[in-house]
Amino acid sequence: MTASFAGVPCLAVAFPATGLAYNTLVVLVAVATVGCAGGVVGTLALLRKRPLLGDAAAHATLVGAAAIVLLTGRRDLPTLLTGAAASSFAALCLLALIRRCTRTRDDAATAILIGVSFGAGVSVVTWMMARGLPGSGTIEQLLLGHAAAVTARDATLLAAVALATVLVVAATLKETVAVAFDAAFAAAGGWPVGLIDNAVTALVVLMVVVGLPTAGGVLVSALLVIPPVAARQWTERVGPLLVLAGLVGLASAVLGVLASIAWPGLPTGPAVVLSAALICLVSILGAPGRGLVARRWRERELVRRWAAGRLTEEGLALERGLHEPWGLAAGPSITVPESRRP
Amino acid sequence: MNEAAGWMLPDAGHLAFHAWSMATAAAFSAACALVGSFLVVRRMSLLGDAIAHAVLPGIAIGALAGGQLGGPLVIGGAVAAALLTAWSTRLLRTAAGLAEDAGAGVVFTTMFAAGVVIVTLAAARVDLDPECVLFGSLELVAFDLMSIGRLMMPRATVSAVAMLALVAVAIGATWRWQVFTAFDTPAACVVGVPVAAVTALLLTATAVATVGGFEAVGAVLVVSMLVVPAAAAELLVHRMHRVVAVAIALAVVAACLGWLAAWACNTNAAGMIAVVLGGMYGLAALVAPVDGVLPRAAAGINLAWRVAREDWLAQIWRAQEELGGGRAVPRPMPRSLLERAAVWWLWLVGQVEDRGGLVRLSVAGRREAETVVRSHRLWEAWLGRHADLPLDHLHPPAEWVEHHLGAAVRQRIEAEMAGGPDPHGREIPPESG
Repeated sequence: MTASFAGVPCLAVAFPATGLAYNTLVVLVAVATVGCAGGVVGTLALLRKRPLLGDAAAHATLVGAAAIVLLTGRRDLPTLLTGAAASSFAALCLLALIRRCTRTRDDAATAILIGVSFGAGVSVVTWMMARGLPGSGTIEQLLLGHAAAVTARDATLLAAVALATVLVVAATLKETVAVAFDAAFAAAGGWPVGLIDNAVTALVVLMVVVGLPTAGGVLVSALLVIPPVAARQWTERVGPLLVLAGLVGLASAVLGVLASIAWPGLPTGPAVVLSAALICLVSILGAPGRGLVARRWRERELVRRWAAGRLTEEGLALERGLHEPWGLAAGPSITVPESRRP
Repeated sequence: MNEAAGWMLPDAGHLAFHAWSMATAAAFSAACALVGSFLVVRRMSLLGDAIAHAVLPGIAIGALAGGQLGGPLVIGGAVAAALLTAWSTRLLRTAAGLAEDAGAGVVFTTMFAAGVVIVTLAAARVDLDPECVLFGSLELVAFDLMSIGRLMMPRATVSAVAMLALVAVAIGATWRWQVFTAFDTPAACVVGVPVAAVTALLLTATAVATVGGFEAVGAVLVVSMLVVPAAAAELLVHRMHRVVAVAIALAVVAACLGWLAAWACNTNAAGMIAVVLGGMYGLAALVAPVDGVLPRAAAGINLAWRVAREDWLAQIWRAQEELGGGRAVPRPMPRSLLERAAVWWLWLVGQVEDRGGLVRLSVAGRREAETVVRSHRLWEAWLGRHADLPLDHLHPPAEWVEHHLGAAVRQRIEAEMAGGPDPHGREIPPESG
């Protein structure tokens, strides 16, 4: 614990007030920052219509982590994560290559990458175990996550990378969002779409890698997919969407960690994923605009008004622009901007 | 136990011991490849991945309720979990407007997390090992035997073969509907194919195939067996029944090779099978007859090479025509490396004679050059008559098409033009050879 890890003293000051054990607080901070950053970066991947990029990246981390242990003999977390990041970035490059050079469709290419890279990783790790080589146990902790094994030093590293990721997203918001929404338009406007795509891919890889120690390789993609989907139900604008996704990720991380404290034996990674899923479920059902309940209610309301013969009035109101923007099939396609209304 | 079954006892040094686990891998891979072909064609690969992950809680709950692995309770739980996954992914698409892959991503991670929680919390009461659930342990299947009549067989082998038979019967019985739905769902819907039922059957078959070798292969590696053989087969052949046959063949070969490789290197068999499958896919992507990267690149290079040679010959022919009398002309300057190579090649095969910087075509060279120039000028004449282009716009398209016109087309154009010069007033050379 050197002075360079400035987060640790802050934790030391904070923990007597919360009543949580010091180790728990360390884990909580790490998981929370990673969850928050995962939500933000995942939003970009979701908008780019590549929500499972993180899944492919996550499954490819195993082989890199094993390879770097074999090559360097070191098995501290930063080394493992460096190897993991390298192999997962390589896998995503391979995915882009398959997409470009073969007839194989996107979904199949992603599935191939997931299966084969994970198979390679499993083979290498099992081989290491059979040879009695050191390090296979540490790598295995990256598979399903082992939050309790995260030290304060590791936590500071994870939190720092996650924060840096969020800052990068914030700094390049205009570019990444433009490419995510309409790559063809961005390309026509002279933006370096390929470069920005690669940058977003790199961010996804970073998020996956820092999520590994707590959530594990198989589940870390959930941190990138579920919070943006939940947040999407509440807003139509990209700024609030990013913030909300970050908050959902943060909230589910905190909920998951607290649940795993309250219920001994409950693994932290799956608990975080299940909390996120719970928030997502509530959002999909209960969000005011796009939520299922709200939509059903609008449909029934429409039928009722139809039956009451007041639909003509409603139509006139719509024409005057006084009507609520939510139609039957809620979504931006029928939302008339304020300026365009008659 | 009797003598007939005696040689099949689990003896780690014995051939039969290994044969059983290899047979398990092959049967399981074949079943996965069969359903996977349809998943890949229907662009549902990721749903297959999702189902392979999502059967975990179903299996865990089935096992908690007292079912045995490979027993009806566990399979029922897995199928229920698979259908729940498909149904909720669909609901997320129709009700929440979520893309299919995003929906699958949400659902299967949630289900898998639930499965891990159940397995971890109930580890003491259930015979399910989280490690085994992830990685599988194909090497150990021969330790767990059951008797079928007089035969002692590993339970996992029986289960994998039974699932293969079940899946084959289900897909085979609905083959025409499956293919129709896979290639054109709206049309199938219109002519009255029960599309929803056909899809549900495919997803159920996926769940059944998945659960058949779950303990042997593990949740995460199932996806490679579902998708990779089918994706490779799709690159190699283009009819559905051939895709299925090739996928199954590849899967069986990969299962045996991967198993042997794992045995030789002392590592995880399922992982090695996935790696071998990946190698097969890579090979198919590189060398597939029509769609492979290498054949396509070779075809492109071949064309560029022919164009370079033909352009060079035509250039000298035109220069000689201008000079008249078949006299040698100064050698033009090659513009690219490929053209330089073409010049050298043409000199080597004797189509161009080069004497101290002056070049002329040999008889063979002249014949080829005349064919190219004839194609060029006929195409200009045809364009001039039919396309209503100004004179100076005729050359570029003809420069491109001259390499692709066959003798039959040239003849027809000539018949239509009834002789005469090309639009620029130059003579069209006669068909040579």
